Amino acid sequence: MRQQTSSADRARVPADPVAEEDRLRAYAYGLLSRLLARPPSQALIDEVKTLSGDASDLGRAFTGLAAAAAGGDIRTIGREYHALFIGVGRGELLPYASYYLTGFVHGKPLASLRSAMLTLGIARDPAFKDPEDHICALMGMMAGLIGGAFGAPAALDVQRSFFTAHVAPWATHFFADLEGAAAADFYRPVGTIGRLLMEIEETAFRMI
Amino acid sequence: MSEGEHPEGTSRRSFLQLAGAGTVASGVAALTAGDAAASEAEPAPGSGYRETRHIKSYYDSARF
Repeated sequence: MRQQTSSADRARVPADPVAEEDRLRAYAYGLLSRLLARPPSQALIDEVKTLSGDASDLGRAFTGLAAAAAGGDIRTIGREYHALFIGVGRGELLPYASYYLTGFVHGKPLASLRSAMLTLGIARDPAFKDPEDHICALMGMMAGLIGGAFGAPAALDVQRSFFTAHVAPWATHFFADLEGAAAADFYRPVGTIGRLLMEIEETAFRMI
Repeated sequence: MSEGEHPEGTSRRSFLQLAGAGTVASGVAALTAGDAAASEAEPAPGSGYRETRHIKSYYDSARF
């Protein structure tokens, strides 16, 4: 849902709507969100096959993910997703901020996130049953803040505040766990991309 | 640290480009050229995003 806002509301948003590197940041966050939300569709796997990066660590991770997509198939990747995140009883990983930060789901970090979402005007889809501090939700919120899915691109300081409070404290740890998870094959480069993106973001946010 | 004075710090942009945040290419170039933001807001059918989407934006003139 997009809505025109007064110039006063958006005075601090750069005139250039979304710069090239921010489009790519939004794409990377959005891709992580889509890959982590549910077992990937064939369309998403096909999209991932087209990725290629340069010789940087992150670029190589994208290229590695494309190769993993090309070498995998939807059923195998789907089973891997279940083993990692759903499992029998539970998956290998519990991808929730509250769990990583407190050892329990539905803890204070989730309450804090819900408060931030209220402030930012972000509402969850009631059809989604997982709590909002699921990693895919946080990656999706970052993508939306950067790319303008929630009305207009959020100013960098708003992005930084959200990232610092709700993503940075645990996401790097989660992605490192995903990289090293026993069940991870296709999702290993997903973990690498996530870990590298989090590290890049932490550094880049210190430069604004 | 006023973001208003340096909305896109040169050093930050350079860093992001060098770090590889601007290096995803080829097949995705078309996506990133203009659809990345749009795909978040209005997922294209078949992108997988509609099914996975669990965040809807209700931007009701609430200010950041």
